[in-house]
Amino acid sequence: MTDILVQLGNGFLACLHPTTMLMLVVGIIVGLLVGVLPGLTLVMGVVLFLPFTYKMQVTDAIVLLSAMYVSGTYGGAFTSILFRIPGEPIHVPLLWDGYAMARKGKPAQALGWTLIAAFVGGLLSAVAMVLLTKPVASFALRFSSPEYFAILVFGLTSVIALGSGSLANALISLALGLLIASVGTDAIYGAERFTFGMPIFADGIEFLVVMVGAYGVGEVLTRLERGFSSKPLAAVATTKTKLPSLGEIGAVKSMLLRSTVIGHIVGLIPGAGATVAAFVSYGVEKQFGRKRAEMGSGVVEGIVAPQSAATASVGGALIPLLALGIPGSGATAVILGAFMLHGIQPGPQIMATSSAMVYTIFASIFIGIAVMCLMGYFAIRPLVKILDFPESIVSAFVMLFCFVGALAIRSNVTDLWLMIGFGALGYLFERYGFPIAPLVLGVILGPLAEESFMNSMISFSNDWTVFFTRPISGTVMALAILTLSLPIIGLIRNRRKPGASLAAAPAAAAEPNKAAPATAAPRAVRP
Amino acid sequence: MGARLMASLPYILLLAVTAWLWSVANTIEFDARPGALGPDFWPKAALLLMGALSAFQIAWALMASSDAQAVGMAAGLDEEDGDDAPRRPLLLALGVGLTIVYALTLDTLGFPIATTAFLIAFMYVGGARNHVAIWASSLVGVALTTALLMRVVYVSLPRGVPPFSGLADFITGF
Repeated sequence: MTDILVQLGNGFLACLHPTTMLMLVVGIIVGLLVGVLPGLTLVMGVVLFLPFTYKMQVTDAIVLLSAMYVSGTYGGAFTSILFRIPGEPIHVPLLWDGYAMARKGKPAQALGWTLIAAFVGGLLSAVAMVLLTKPVASFALRFSSPEYFAILVFGLTSVIALGSGSLANALISLALGLLIASVGTDAIYGAERFTFGMPIFADGIEFLVVMVGAYGVGEVLTRLERGFSSKPLAAVATTKTKLPSLGEIGAVKSMLLRSTVIGHIVGLIPGAGATVAAFVSYGVEKQFGRKRAEMGSGVVEGIVAPQSAATASVGGALIPLLALGIPGSGATAVILGAFMLHGIQPGPQIMATSSAMVYTIFASIFIGIAVMCLMGYFAIRPLVKILDFPESIVSAFVMLFCFVGALAIRSNVTDLWLMIGFGALGYLFERYGFPIAPLVLGVILGPLAEESFMNSMISFSNDWTVFFTRPISGTVMALAILTLSLPIIGLIRNRRKPGASLAAAPAAAAEPNKAAPATAAPRAVRP
Repeated sequence: MGARLMASLPYILLLAVTAWLWSVANTIEFDARPGALGPDFWPKAALLLMGALSAFQIAWALMASSDAQAVGMAAGLDEEDGDDAPRRPLLLALGVGLTIVYALTLDTLGFPIATTAFLIAFMYVGGARNHVAIWASSLVGVALTTALLMRVVYVSLPRGVPPFSGLADFITGF
């Protein structure tokens, strides 16, 4: 414990380095802006900033992206409450109680409760992250290749099962991602796969090209086809924030703690992320909370539960990323990519080899949450002013960042062409209901999964039962199978209940007042 | 039946691509080691998964009596977040066309000129009509990005051929 505190203290000192602090503040501001803008998802924002981190120190790069991740879970709250525009899918639950409270003439109170929820949820989750990462990493040191393969399979299956679209489409998306990851020279035999005689393919397809293309270009093309149809902003009376008193906070402390724990646990599950955390937490309050009957009418519980869970999910998602090398959400998948671009593979060894860096990242999360809340308190007006920018101008700059992302990798125009191709694929995926997250995770985790699978086969004489007979890998594989079969079980149960749908069930549980849509932009839930 | 066929069309295409890639995977050259899996195993496993699911989806679309399918557990969470604006294929085609022209001209015009031209054209295509905002944001945005990437971060971006390369030289030398 003392060791952890000392290292965390050193991490705080490292964060005070001017460059690191600058990256932290820049990350917070950009994350808040990304959260506010309906045309830009949190994952997309992190992806678009990844190329700017190439030449940075790895710690500064991760601090920048982590800060964006934290504040991206909060920025969209302003526009949800004030304008009924959820900048992120995370903030859809805030439309129900946050906007309702604002309409009762209490927007400042609604913003104040959101700030407190993000602050407390984020900080408590960060404490749990600091305490849990090292034990998880120490436990993971016992793993060998079958266990790693099983964990990777679990990560990939939970991304699929916790997604929002067709299970079959998600699996196809994943298979395509694994296939793209296999392009290039094979590590064991040195054989060239799917290179079609082009030298650039021998080095493989960079995952950044896939991410930037599918998330960035694909989304812009989708929105361009709809004519960038953002709705005009309504005038609001105030953008001030009124913090609740300590007595008022004390009255909801158990609910705040419960939501934080839910958010942290959901964040731990690979593939879940902040959106699922916000909805699950809201759903729990709606089902079991003290004010369940009033949810949806502008009560504090309906604001605090989703916001605290969303911000708390960040600390949860960083644990499997750092301790196991498995991203817990779309944004942490990009952060994993940033580590890999700098030649660092997160996993159990990272606490031994790069503990100073890890604790600096931890400390940056604490400072980031504080800075985020200060900015949320003092700078709402300029932040929401960005919504006055025409969407076509913002989208043109998103395209600029996409081009830079593709060109900066190898300074090769072929990568630009590949990115445009993946942009077209991203558009088609959106159009025909294929989720993008499994594709991207397949590209990032594919090489790791193949390596651990092939090593297991070599070590255990091609005995594939090894994944099921070893205690840890067998348990994790069983969990993976169970996770994947949950949507199928849901479908079967749903068929026995005429008139209901699996998709509608959680939504109905979580959405109390099916109000008319007044949101600005189409968004897919991206874990 | 026509609607069902249309619904299965993406999967028919996917199945065809899978078959073609399988034939490509069969041509992967390597020195086989006895008792060991080859480098074609992993991509073939992914292709098998993709092909089997595509075939399943085709069969489902053509033969199943109900459209209900297993969906992820987050389905429906953002149901009310829909965009009901009509699709405008011409805008999409223009956007894709601009992007392709950008990639074609990048090596010749260089990053600053090609990107500025792209941004201005894309903003007009996207519906912006504030000329000052369009031109000012494009010029300033590209100048700052070029200076930041080529002078500060040292990312190598295409400079173009003379005389177009002069602008990149000017910005980086400024």
